Amino acid sequence: MYKTKKIATLASIALLSSSLSGVAMSNTMGGVVNVAIIGEADTLDPMMSSKDVVGTVTQHIYETLFTFDSSWAPAPLLADGMPDVSSDGLTYTIKIRQGVNFHDGSSMDSADVVDSLNRWLSVASRGKSIASKVDSVSALDSHTVEIKLNSVYSALLSLMSMNNAAAVIYPQENIKGDDLAAPIGTGPYKVGEYKADQYLQLVRYDGYSSSKAPIDGAAGSRAGYLDEINFIPVGDGSTRLEGLLSGQFDFAESIAAESYARLESSSKAEPVLLAPYGWPMWVINHKKGIMTNLNVRKALQAALPAEEMLYAAFGDEKFYKADGALYPEGFIWNSDAGLENYGTGDTKKASAFLKASDYDGSPLRILTSKQYMWHFKTAEVAKVYLEQAGFKVQMDVVDWATLGQRRNNPDLWDVFLSHSPYIPEPSLNGTMQATYRSGWTNGEKEHLMSKFTSVTDTAERVAIWSQIQDNYFEDVGFIKLGSFNSLRGKSQSLKGVPETPWPFFWNAYK
Amino acid sequence: MKKYIFKRILGMIWVMFIVLTLVFIIVRLAPGDPATLMLGPDATPQEAIELREDMGFNRPIIIQYADFISKVAQGDLGKSIFFNQPVLSILAERAEPSILLTLFSLGIAISIALPFGIASAYYRGTLLDQSSLTSAMLIASIPSFWTGLILQQYLGTELGWFPVSGYGGPGASFGERAYHLLLPSLVLGVVNSALILRFTRASMLDVLTEDYVRTARSKGLSEMNVVLRQAFKNTLIPLATVIGLTFALLISGAVVTERVFNLPGIGSLVVGSVLRRDYPMIQGTLIVVSGVYVLVNFLIDMIYLWIDPRVKY
Repeated sequence: MYKTKKIATLASIALLSSSLSGVAMSNTMGGVVNVAIIGEADTLDPMMSSKDVVGTVTQHIYETLFTFDSSWAPAPLLADGMPDVSSDGLTYTIKIRQGVNFHDGSSMDSADVVDSLNRWLSVASRGKSIASKVDSVSALDSHTVEIKLNSVYSALLSLMSMNNAAAVIYPQENIKGDDLAAPIGTGPYKVGEYKADQYLQLVRYDGYSSSKAPIDGAAGSRAGYLDEINFIPVGDGSTRLEGLLSGQFDFAESIAAESYARLESSSKAEPVLLAPYGWPMWVINHKKGIMTNLNVRKALQAALPAEEMLYAAFGDEKFYKADGALYPEGFIWNSDAGLENYGTGDTKKASAFLKASDYDGSPLRILTSKQYMWHFKTAEVAKVYLEQAGFKVQMDVVDWATLGQRRNNPDLWDVFLSHSPYIPEPSLNGTMQATYRSGWTNGEKEHLMSKFTSVTDTAERVAIWSQIQDNYFEDVGFIKLGSFNSLRGKSQSLKGVPETPWPFFWNAYK
Repeated sequence: MKKYIFKRILGMIWVMFIVLTLVFIIVRLAPGDPATLMLGPDATPQEAIELREDMGFNRPIIIQYADFISKVAQGDLGKSIFFNQPVLSILAERAEPSILLTLFSLGIAISIALPFGIASAYYRGTLLDQSSLTSAMLIASIPSFWTGLILQQYLGTELGWFPVSGYGGPGASFGERAYHLLLPSLVLGVVNSALILRFTRASMLDVLTEDYVRTARSKGLSEMNVVLRQAFKNTLIPLATVIGLTFALLISGAVVTERVFNLPGIGSLVVGSVLRRDYPMIQGTLIVVSGVYVLVNFLIDMIYLWIDPRVKY
């Protein structure tokens, strides 16, 4: 089954040519791609989960009104162009593309969009986060929708472009409150066969109606060259690697850094390094315990040797970069504000902050998990520096599920370790929210964040973000250790897969 | 006899009731929260609270217990939180790879263990005996995941003889699915052959010195006949015990091998469910696995009757 099928019939080309007008058809039609993902997508309803794996899989089935282009700016997908925004920034008039069909053959219209967006506002974590700002979502005609806000929210289109907890469009009749009647979307692939913990088979949707815009990131035209995409959950990293090297898998996520050389020397596969992929973070408890004291937080910030910690975690500079800015170079949000406070590993300075804080010797409880071994390794290095600075360190090493529960109780930790991909829109980063479990909030930051989401001019937003970063360093909101890269692998015959945190396989071919 | 079977069945029911209670308690003693895991990293604590409420985990524990026992008594093992499907139907899907893997592995283990065990006992103290014992000890000492990784890398990746992962893709035929089980079966078969080999050898050594073996030889029966028909037949009771227990262990306990080869069996289901804190799935799997153990023990006792008519209950 894992052998590649090479089918290229004139009939299928003709059929697709008619449905994908405007899309270059020079690439090879046919073939099956087996994609080894790190775990099961626990739902095929992408509104209900903010997990990356859910977004990665379901973006092939469902589509949003907007998506991200290669520069991470929102771009139209099901929308017919960018929206008309009223001069006060409160009304978004969105035209939707005509002739778009769902997998059940029905046509998408405003009623589907309105019901889907209303469901998103009520059930999806991203939707709920702005529900209070939305006055109404209504249909102006069969292919025009209007969103009315009660306060300006400049991140709206970015929020609606995300592929997890996503504002996807379902057929109106499929929406049954919190449930979906069937996994039916408008995407280039539809659900074929699903076997829990074995595979999710997606098959090409021949009635797909593609955008005619040039390909640009996830935006632009989409073509289903491949007959099938099979997403296979493979929990063990070495099995993903062996499957890739043996030719059983065509693409594998999250390969251990030490396997780079084997991939490089393989005759069938090759490494794919996504740089930067994300950032490791030390989330700080601002609600209870010793970290509520600013000087203790500053001591923590001063004591952490970012470079050493990242080296211990990843072992090779190919896989990390010690950069303290909240967004690395390449993003418009990159700033050097406050960087002098980043990752110095200065235990004397940390010690001075501790003395100024009247730290009583209570243990600094670091909650981490060996399921992400590299998290644990950063903590091990940090422990030495923190103890040298005068901290008493308590490592609470638990499994990831337990960490997931304990971090909800501020009585149980001072710092927990996590990581995140770079979210294109900074305000969508959960750790920046006052409602996040860390409870980081201060008057200036909240004022700046509010201003950041209510201003639409990009240059002005960049300037505000720089001030927010400065505040983050000054108040030690959390600690971003640096950037890490993600090692993936793909078969040498697979082409057209973009380097993105959420890989997609439309436009890919073999 | 009927009275004995009736008593055994009553005993089995009692054991299962204790198992149910223990399973219910143990599952809830484990830290970790299914709601948080299901919602993903960006979910707020409030959303987790709401989901826990929806799933009924906020009800008093005694109410949850009563509900659990009552449903199990009606054959309802609940609905998996993660898969959103009935636990029994998930288990039914996982039964095929687990049963086939067990049968293949047991077949390989027996094929290795019996000839070498018998020969080892017959040629006691010789180089063959020493080699068999040393090999068995070595094999039993090597972790199955290591054997799995090595075979996966060489027989799967390098030589390309076997698939290294999974149980066949969409539309895979039975033959294709079985083919995916060969490599993991080889790993488990080799690992489990060690115990059976040592049992076979020890049992054969016991019976080879019995009077009836000497009598058989004095009557001029061939050595093949003496060893295989007269002696070996009398080792079947202890062998049935160890093979039966290995069967039960393999059905549920091939966790590591299933993980290495990404097989969707019951072992990997248990581990996955624990990591996801999928309470109904953990409970249901443990109940079924415990039931298999109880049943296999019962069947072993019944097999004794068939093997040796002198056994009376």
